[in-house]
Order: sequence, then C-alpha cells, then structure tokens
Amino acid sequence: MISSTAIAHLKEKLGDANVLHEKEDLLTLGYDSTPGVHHLPEVVVYPTSSEQVVAAMEIAEREGLPLTPRGSGTGLSGGSVPVKGGMVLCLTRMNRILEIDEENLTATAEAGVITLDLFNAVAAKGLFYPPDPGSQKISTLGGNVAENAGGLRGLKYGVTRDYVMALKGVLADRSLIATGGKSVKDVAGYGFKDLLVGSEGTLGIITEITVKLIPPPQDKRTILAYFDDVRTAGEAVSRIIAAKIIPSTMEIMDRAVINCVEDYVKIGLPRQMAALLLIEVDGHPAPVAEEAAGVRKILEEVKAAEIHVARDAEHAAGLAAARRTALSALARVSPTTLLEDATVPRSRLAETFGEIERLREKYQLKVGTFGHAGDGNLHPTVLCDERDHDEMARAHAFYNELYEQVLAWGGTVSGEHGIGLAKKEYLARQIGPGGVQVMKRIKQTFDPQGLLNPGKIFDEGDPCTKAHVEEGFRVSH
Amino acid sequence: MSHTEPLGNFKSEDAPHYDDVLQCMRCGFCLPTCPTYALTGRERSSPRGRVALARAVAEKKLEFTPAIKEEAFFCLDCRACTSACPSGVRAGEVMEVCRSQAHAFYPLGKMGKAFREFILQKMVPSPDLLETSMLPTRLYQRLGIQWLVRHLKVLKLGPEWMEKAEGMLPRLEKPLRPQLPLLTPARGEKRGKVGFFLGCVMTLMYPNVSRNTVRVLSHQGFEVVTPRETKCCGAPHLSEGDRETARQLALFNLDLFLAQDVDYIVTDCAGCGAALKEYEELLEERAEHDRLARFRSKIRDVSEFLMEVGLRTEGLQEITASVTYHEPCHLCHAQGISAQPRRIIRQIPGVELREMAEASWCCGSAATWGLKYAEDSRKVLDRKLENVKASGAEILVTANPGCQLQLAWGVREASLPQDVLHLMELLGRALPPD
Ligand SMILES: Cc1cc2nc3c(=O)[nH]c(=O)nc-3n(C[C@H](O)[C@H](O)[C@H](O)COP(=O)(O)OP(=O)(O)OC[C@H]3O[C@@H](n4cnc5c(N)ncnc54)[C@H](O)[C@@H]3O)c2cc1C
Ligand code: SF4
Ligand code: SF4
Repeated sequence: MISSTAIAHLKEKLGDANVLHEKEDLLTLGYDSTPGVHHLPEVVVYPTSSEQVVAAMEIAEREGLPLTPRGSGTGLSGGSVPVKGGMVLCLTRMNRILEIDEENLTATAEAGVITLDLFNAVAAKGLFYPPDPGSQKISTLGGNVAENAGGLRGLKYGVTRDYVMALKGVLADRSLIATGGKSVKDVAGYGFKDLLVGSEGTLGIITEITVKLIPPPQDKRTILAYFDDVRTAGEAVSRIIAAKIIPSTMEIMDRAVINCVEDYVKIGLPRQMAALLLIEVDGHPAPVAEEAAGVRKILEEVKAAEIHVARDAEHAAGLAAARRTALSALARVSPTTLLEDATVPRSRLAETFGEIERLREKYQLKVGTFGHAGDGNLHPTVLCDERDHDEMARAHAFYNELYEQVLAWGGTVSGEHGIGLAKKEYLARQIGPGGVQVMKRIKQTFDPQGLLNPGKIFDEGDPCTKAHVEEGFRVSH
Repeated sequence: MSHTEPLGNFKSEDAPHYDDVLQCMRCGFCLPTCPTYALTGRERSSPRGRVALARAVAEKKLEFTPAIKEEAFFCLDCRACTSACPSGVRAGEVMEVCRSQAHAFYPLGKMGKAFREFILQKMVPSPDLLETSMLPTRLYQRLGIQWLVRHLKVLKLGPEWMEKAEGMLPRLEKPLRPQLPLLTPARGEKRGKVGFFLGCVMTLMYPNVSRNTVRVLSHQGFEVVTPRETKCCGAPHLSEGDRETARQLALFNLDLFLAQDVDYIVTDCAGCGAALKEYEELLEERAEHDRLARFRSKIRDVSEFLMEVGLRTEGLQEITASVTYHEPCHLCHAQGISAQPRRIIRQIPGVELREMAEASWCCGSAATWGLKYAEDSRKVLDRKLENVKASGAEILVTANPGCQLQLAWGVREASLPQDVLHLMELLGRALPPD
C-alpha cells in the first residue's frame, strides 16, 4: 500500500482535491471502455501543470509505484487500465485551450482538452481540426495523440498523427521535453515527436499539444446508401476508391448495428436492410458535385437497394452522430460487447465481410460490424455474455481466425485503437519477434526502469519494482 | 429496476438488477451530460462511475459504503445520462434504488426517523394534512413566524438551505385542490374526457398554474375530472429512498384513476408525470400487469397531450413577447418530451421562441437536492441563468414546479428581467377571457 506520507506529499504538491485514494475512487478509475479489464490503482492524481506532473512522478518513483497516464478512459484496448496498480495520472484537469494561432493555422492545448471542445473552439474562428474519433465528445487530445486516434474523416484527412505539429511532455527521467514546432517544415534530428504519437503512454506523459488546422471545406454532400447484402456494400467501397474518388467519410454499418442505433436515435433507419453506407464528399463546390455524381453512379452500378441524399446540414450531422453511437448502442443487445479493430487493404473489404460472416456461423456468435470502411478499418463486434465461458472461448477463436486471415491479406490488428492489453499477442504475430525486440529497445531507452504504463503493448520481463493487483480484478479478455 | 433476491452485497429489498449494471459498456457518452460530474470532475460522481460502484457492490467487491450512499444522494436523478446513453443504461434510476438501500444500511437516528416518517408517511400522503400544514406557512409569510424553517430542519438538510428555502417560496395562495370542481365542462365542440392529476406542489405553491391547465383543457374541448382524493404521486418518496410508501401511494392512485371513466390522465407537473409513467416498474410485482399497462397508456404530460390531440388555435389572443424554454429534466430526460412544449410555444400567436444554449441542462433544483447541496445547486443554476440571459428573451418558460421555484428564485436573486412562467400560464394568457 502507498504510504500515508506519500499521500500527504502528493496533497501538498497537487492540492487535496487533486489526489484521490478512497476505495470508491480507485474502483472508478481502474477501467476504460475495454470489456473485462479492471485493476485498482493505489492512488489517482490530477495534475494541473507540467510541474505537478513532475512532482507526482518523483513521488511515484520514490514509492516504487508504476505510473499509468489516463485521459477520459474511452480507450478500447485497455491502455489506461493500471494493470500493475500504482499511480494513475489523470490529465482531465489540464483542460485549457492555450492558443489558436490564426496566422500560422495552429492550435495549442493542454492534453486534457476534450476533442470536440477543440474542434468547436477552432470552428468558431472559421478553422477546421479534422480528426474526429467516434468518442470525440468525451476523449481527450492527449488520449488521441497517445493512441493516434482515427475517426470518421480519416479517409480523406488522415489521423491524429497527421495534425500533431509539436508536443510538450515529461519523460520517465522527469525531464521536460518539447519536440516539433509551428514550422511546417522541420527535419532537425530524429522525428521523436512521431514516436510519441501512438506510444500509448509508455514513453512519456504528454502535457501540451500543438495541432495543425486547415480551412474548412466550402461544400459538402452526404449520401446514404442501403444494401441487401453487406458484401455489395464492401464492393461499392472498393470501386469508389478504385475510381480515384476520395470521399471525406465512408462509414459502414451492418443490419445488427443499424437496428441497435435505430433503437437509440429513432430517426427511421431501415431495419430490414443488410448494410448502410454513409458517404460524405467535401471540398470546393464544383469537384464536390462531380464526385457526388461519381459516387452515385457507382452505387447504382453495384445495385444499391436505395440511395438518398441528406436533406440539409442538420440531417447530415444527425446521421454522422448516429454512426458515432454505433458501438455503445450495440451494448443494448447483450451484457458484453467485444470489439475488434481489424483493418485490411481496401480492395479486400468485400472478402472481409464474407470472412466475418463465415466465422460468425462457424462459431455461432452474434456479431455486429461497423467501421471506417473507406480506410478498410472494420470493427467486428461480438455480442456476448462474459458469464458464459463457452461463448467467450468461441469469441476468442473467432477473432483469432479472423486476424489470421487479415494478416495474410496484409492487414493490421489495429487501425486506431492501439495494442494496450487487449492485443499484445496479435501484435507479436503481426510484427514478429524482431519487431517486438526493436520496440522493447525503444522503450528501454525512454524508460529504463519500466515505470511508465507497464504491461502495455508487449509483455516485459517485469521491470516494475512493485506490483499491486487487487484480488478479484483480473484480465479476462 | 428493483429486485427481491439478494444481489451481492446489497440488502435483498430493492436492489438494482444485475443486468442493468452489466449493460454499461463504459463508453463515457454520459460524462459530458452529468451535472454532478461537471461540478466535481470526479469519476465516481459520473453516471459511468456510479454504475461501476453499484456493479462492484453487486459483485461483492465493495461493501455498501458511506461514499456510495453519498453518491446516491448527490446524484440529481436528472436522468440526463439516460438520454445520453446509447446502451440504454439508467444510472439515475440505479441510484434511486440505491437511496433506499442507503436507509437499509444506515438507519436514521430516532428523531430523524420520527420526523421522516411524519413527513413522508403521514403528512405528504394525506392531502388534508398537507394543506393544513401549509397554513402556518402562509401565516409565516404574513407574520414572519419561522415555522416552516424550524420544522424542515429535522430532515437533516444542510445549513445554507434555510435562507434559500425561505427565499424560494412564492407568495402562497389558498390550495387549489378544494377549489377545483370535480367536473369542469368542455367548451366548444367536445373532444373527450380527461382525468387531471393535480400534483402536491402545484396545489400548494402554484395553484394558478393548474387553474390555467384546467382552463386550457376545457377550452380545448375536454371535460376535466379532478378526483379530490388524489394522493401524492410518490416521487418525493422515491427521491428520499422510501420506496414502500411510494408503492402504497401508487396503488392508491392506480385504483382511483382506473375507476374514472376517462380517456387520458393528464398532468402539468413533469415530476408527477414521470413518476406516474414509472408505476409500471415500481409496482411490478404488486399489481396486475394489464391494469398497469392500461394506466400507463393513459398518462400524458399536458404538452404531450395537446400536441397529440392537436392544439386548437382559433380564438387564441396574440402575446407579443420573446420566450425561451427551459426543459425540466423529468420532462425531457425521464419522459422524452422535448419538441412538444416548443411546438405549443410557437403556435401561440405573436410569441417568438428564442432557444437558449443547453436548454436541457438541469437547473439544480431536483426535489430537495437544491436545499441539501445549496452551494452546488447555485453553481448549476448560475450556468442556467447565464444561458437564459444570453437568449435575451423576455419570458422564461418551463413546465415543472420544482424548476419554476428554482428559476424564479434565481432570476430574482440575479435581478434578471425575465418573468418565469409555466407553459400553461403562458398558454392561459392567450385564452379568451372566461
Ligand atoms: C464509443 C467509442 C467510439 C470510439 N471511436 C473511436 C474512433 O473512431 N477512432 C479511434 O481512434 N478511437 C475510437 N475510440 C477509442 C478511444 O476513444 C480513443 O482511443 C481515444 O483517443 C482515447 O482517449 P482518452 O482520452 O479516453 O484516453 P484513455 O482511454 O484514457 O487513454 C488511452 C491511452 O492513452 C494514454 N494516455 C492518455 N492520455 C495521455 C497523455 N496525456 N500522455 C500520455 N499518454 C496518455 C493512456 O495511458 C492509454 O494508453 C472510441 C471509443 C469509444 C468508447
Ligand atoms: S452509462 Fe451508458 S453512456 Fe454512460 S458509460 Fe455506460 S454505456 Fe456509456
Ligand atoms: S441522473 Fe443526472 S446527476 Fe445522476 S448520474 Fe445521471 S446525469 Fe448525473
């Protein structure tokens, strides 16, 4: 147990309200959105400045407490779950937007700023921050950077990495670092800013983020297409890409997802359809019209069952919002929702749907699939009950076999949710022992004592000085 | 929502269903909608955190600790999380059930218990007693006797509540209940017969509102039956964790209203409406299913009702004013009624509806919460008042007496110019004179 002097020190440095150690608080800060994983930390701190981050790290080191950074805990791979106990360092109270620089088209914010808040703040100045994970209303920028989050607009605009220009943070040796800057071109030395993006809290604590902004698209058109067969939807996506049209968004939902979302949003989605594609093209008005016509033509060629154009901006926004609820809405069906992040080259999309269908039947599971179809990034989600061990085993086998195929096609085990706890074994399969070794060596360089977010991405020989896992809270994923 | 089998570390009576807590997939969509999370930034005061606590108790990972009791009562039961949750989790209701658990685990002291019993089990359930008990309050307002103040104190409210409770009380008139005729005839072409459920706070604090509701209904062509015997809907009891008295009241009202020959049962109190619509769950094992279903199918909030049957606008007089609308939690979140009141406002000739930001964010009243947590309540209210101010509207309309008390008080305290009206008062102003 953490000593009472350490608690007192933490309170002295961070303020009483920013240090929590009652059991009820520990219990509610030992999870993220990943099912089946829950571990209690010994203490939770909410720094309000980089200096406080350093102070908290110093005390953690002295006490031999591993340190797990946390944003809003919306992660889907267990990244902010403190598997080795210790200290959870929660960044949500560092939530100031520091600057919106209209001359350089950048914004600088603390790591705990909610993604949508930044989006709205820059939009108010006529600017655009494109990365928009489904969790944007809740997730933090720090969490987005640490997971290299993607989003609905990833297809045309890219992911978080493509917008991060500079980072400030604290490394494991408690040094303050600043990497990158506002210069559009910067090749001075190793690009270790890019290493921190997607590092899942294992290489450093990110405290401040400068992102690139762009002018918003002047025009936008949203098309909704329904299909009698998911595979046809997959084919439509591949053909649109092959026709060299890059929509900003191309999202898919299958029948199970359509129904769950409709149960929640009640906007009249057609429950009997096998799949839905939500396609958005944006940019200058003339090419937008041309691309929309191109998309429409392909949809007609593959014989989409119905094609609709969003009535107005509000309707389009409503559809996108509905899509964002897909994962949570699936949780209506069953107690446990196991989601994966399988990503394939886009030409394989139709086949992937076929494979999911085949495995669903083979293992007799309830599966709903949605995702960023344009990126080849699918989230096949098994709807099950964690109390049913046989069903859980079948779910595991389902994903195992699916990833086997995904990797054979040159895909990846994570498009955007990271590796965390949930996908360590799959990562090793994807990049091989050599790949894992390189990653471990990088980790070793940044964090020789293994204090930062231990147990994530790959299994270490346990370099942690102290492990504390509450009885009854185990990884059962 | 309630359970008679023992579940984990809960006591057997009225425990949450395990399936209800398992349903939470911890996505966090509820976090930005929760007023108490906005106040503390602490996960355990968020819907996701509260459900996790209940789950831990159910799974015997945690005792029912004082902190859980605290969270159960600190939750406003505003149900904003229910609206926000795509998975269909009802964190507010789980906490409501936990309030009765709290009493089972931590019984009140003798005095507290006696007064609690007196107020919740004797006074509130008896309309006569309730009305006579308000008499001294009226006297108090005239003579300055601190009667109410002293009597309420034994409910163990915080210390700041006194001044606020005093400041909030509108100038009381005679209770409405004995004044309303048992049967108010329909005007013009008759469209049906409705039962009117008159709430306690309405009859005591806002008789003018319900008088207008009955006028509106009659003007709209409905014959209105107002049973004198109507008892409290039970919402205050649920809110204080006294589910047993709530059930008795519910059974009484169920019998009473099913015995009336009416097409609908209408109320103008969002809190009552929400409670009545939830009798089905509250009485799950205590009344026959088809009677509960029949009762449920008749309950309407007055705005919901008027939009369903269609508002007759001929003869309405013009009101030139701009209006902004505050959504009561128990209307928008608990009953899903959000568009209807706005449609009514728009249909009143001359009225301009100016939307305020965060119209469905709680005003901080929440039954006795606003008194128990006076300082927090003030913060929630201030956020609301900022938005009211920014709307620039002349009239602030709402549809629940609790909100109306809180908002009227807030507007007065902040010296804002708005009139605070119930939707039926606004509509009443547009009716031709009787
Ligand atoms: C409904 C739903 C929809 C989602 N949709 C998407 C989507 O479309 N695209 C997508 O990419 N993801 C999506 N996600 C996953 C998740 O929202 C993202 O991974 C998000 O970026 C996590 O942010 P967070 O603030 O919640 O971080 P957390 O979950 O708290 O943490 C995530 C990881 O980042 C680390 N971390 C957090 N803050 C810092 C910091 N300041 N410094 C260093 N490390 C830090 C943590 O240790 C952890 O490893 C979704 C999740 C949900 C529940
Ligand atoms: S209560 Fe609902 S919205 Fe909140 S975390 Fe759980 S599933 Fe998500
Ligand atoms: S009912 Fe209101 S206060 Fe309670 S958890 Fe839900 S949103 Fe928060």
